[in-house]
Amino acid sequence: MRTYILRRVVVNIPVIWLVATLVFFATSVLPGDFVAQRIAAQDPTSTDPALRQAQIDAVRKDLGLDKPVVQRYFIYLGNLLRGDFGISYQTRESALQGMKEGLPYSLQLALMSLVISILTSIPIGIISAIRQDSLIDYVLRVFAILVLAMPNFWIATMALLYVVRWKLWDVPISSAPLLWEDPGASMRLFIIPAVVGGLASGAGVMRLLRSQMLEVLRQDYIRTAWAKGLRERVIIIRHALKNALVPVVTVLGLSFAGLLSGNVVFENLFAIPGVGRRILAAIVARDVPVVQAFVLVIATFIVFVNLAIDLLYGVLDPRIRYS
Amino acid sequence: MAQEQAILDRPGTLGVPRSLSDRPVLVRALVHIGRFFRYKPLGGVGVVIIGLCVFAAIFAEAVDRYDPEDIFKATNPAYDPELAEKALVDPTIRLQYPPEKFEKSDLPIRFGGPSSAHWLGTDGLGRDLYSRIVHGSRTALYVGLGAALIATISGTIVGLASAYFGGFADFFIQRIVDTLQAFPPLVLLLLFGQVVANPTLTVNTIALGILGTASSARVVRSAVLAVREEVYVLAARTIGASDLRIMLRHIFPNITAPIIVTFTSSIGIYILVEATLAFLGLGDPTRVSWGKMVEEGRRNGPSNPWMAFIVGMALTFVVLGFNLAGDALRDVLDPRLRGRGGRAGF
Repeated sequence: MRTYILRRVVVNIPVIWLVATLVFFATSVLPGDFVAQRIAAQDPTSTDPALRQAQIDAVRKDLGLDKPVVQRYFIYLGNLLRGDFGISYQTRESALQGMKEGLPYSLQLALMSLVISILTSIPIGIISAIRQDSLIDYVLRVFAILVLAMPNFWIATMALLYVVRWKLWDVPISSAPLLWEDPGASMRLFIIPAVVGGLASGAGVMRLLRSQMLEVLRQDYIRTAWAKGLRERVIIIRHALKNALVPVVTVLGLSFAGLLSGNVVFENLFAIPGVGRRILAAIVARDVPVVQAFVLVIATFIVFVNLAIDLLYGVLDPRIRYS
Repeated sequence: MAQEQAILDRPGTLGVPRSLSDRPVLVRALVHIGRFFRYKPLGGVGVVIIGLCVFAAIFAEAVDRYDPEDIFKATNPAYDPELAEKALVDPTIRLQYPPEKFEKSDLPIRFGGPSSAHWLGTDGLGRDLYSRIVHGSRTALYVGLGAALIATISGTIVGLASAYFGGFADFFIQRIVDTLQAFPPLVLLLLFGQVVANPTLTVNTIALGILGTASSARVVRSAVLAVREEVYVLAARTIGASDLRIMLRHIFPNITAPIIVTFTSSIGIYILVEATLAFLGLGDPTRVSWGKMVEEGRRNGPSNPWMAFIVGMALTFVVLGFNLAGDALRDVLDPRLRGRGGRAGF
């Protein structure tokens, strides 16, 4: 077990290195330069091109951008190994600062979506499987297939428009409070993106769980359980559900990791200052160290969530042994 | 059993084709299509929706009722000639009333509702929404089919090579696939889109295709791993067939089912992602895109959500078509679900 985890961690190191390399070179070929943009914005009246070029050169030297790309790449890697993610061009603070500030918002949104997704998909998937081809099964399947076809941003937009139109509740779109700061206002803001995101990932999970359950319910040990005279609830939950859950956990884990890395669409639509909104802003502003730091942290995170999912398999299915 | 015996005992039916495989290819194809529609009615609905969408995209010029860029105007209903006349004498009147009361010339029909002239109403600039939705299907299909094609072809090549050669090559390729999947997808798309100054539709399509390569390579790889150990592959190797020949003539024909399934079921996803990018304002600004139209309708505010609603419905309808057809095709082609009447899938 310990050697398995160790081996997985070692295998993940080249992946993280590749992510760092890819994002470094992708950001260094971005057209448009932060320094030139910033200087032009600061001093739009200056007409002397030589003076402006001198200013630009000075700032570039200050930020270490005057060195060739390959040299900068090795400096960047060296700094990374020392845990230095660089300094944001915009705020002059650590590039991770924005991540730290944005993470609580994304975490709250991700957790709320995950809860809604689990609460809807698992009961619905079970009901749909044990009442196969009944009316309720058809209704639930049509619901799932419709939700999967509807674009997230569209459902969220329509929900927001109608909440405002019918004055159902007041959406605090400009303040973005966190749950522990102002629970009521926070719920009013986060409930729409959480429900929409949760239902969207829940619909996929429901379909997966249904087909898994159908497969499991045909197994011999389920017939044995019925023959032993166990109660239906015990058979469904302890014998069938637990065995159908392994692929479901993968999908849920991956969608949670995706949500935690920031939901760019919802965070923009509802003006939530989470990770996704910040990374979009950083890319548009060409704030290269921030983009690099965000991508690296998110990628590391996704890689380790994958590892955690694999380890969870062993808990759900003791036949899976890692060596 | 009894049924099979009855067929065997049937008196000779010389000249009458007994089995479907005796018939011409065209008849065979028609019979298969007929069976698909009969046993997979929902898949049939999906195929019809796709057919409609493809028809609208190809014959957009014939199906639309107006040019999608035409701006329609109507006489200004708020125009008050008396007040305007007074204002000529006394300019201070202009300040007391809203400005549209003095506007004599025709104004664009902004966010007009459905009417006989404009079946689905008009957009924020007064352009016919029905024509714009019809032309938007071109964008959606271009990105959906293009990205799925790029992802499937490159994913097949990568997955086939990775699983066939195994060892270090496999390890190396899988780490690259891991890397692509560890990236937050939207961030990778944003980076791709920003590398060229203005993201055109083709750039977005290629970026989506590269992103999709990772997941289709995974599917192909696992399919190849199962086929690679088959006896006929060993036989081919024994008689000295080259690697390329084994891959193309012996392995590839046996993994076409998962390849077709990944291709069809990913088209809907690519259409959705393209719409999302356009919604965020990162799409090709010169193209009519459904995502951009939803965003335009959203900006109109909660008083008149019709435009956002109807464009989103069009998007949902097309994605639903691709999803239904993809699911039905998976049931038909996936050998694990065969013989169960495809009831496990939908």
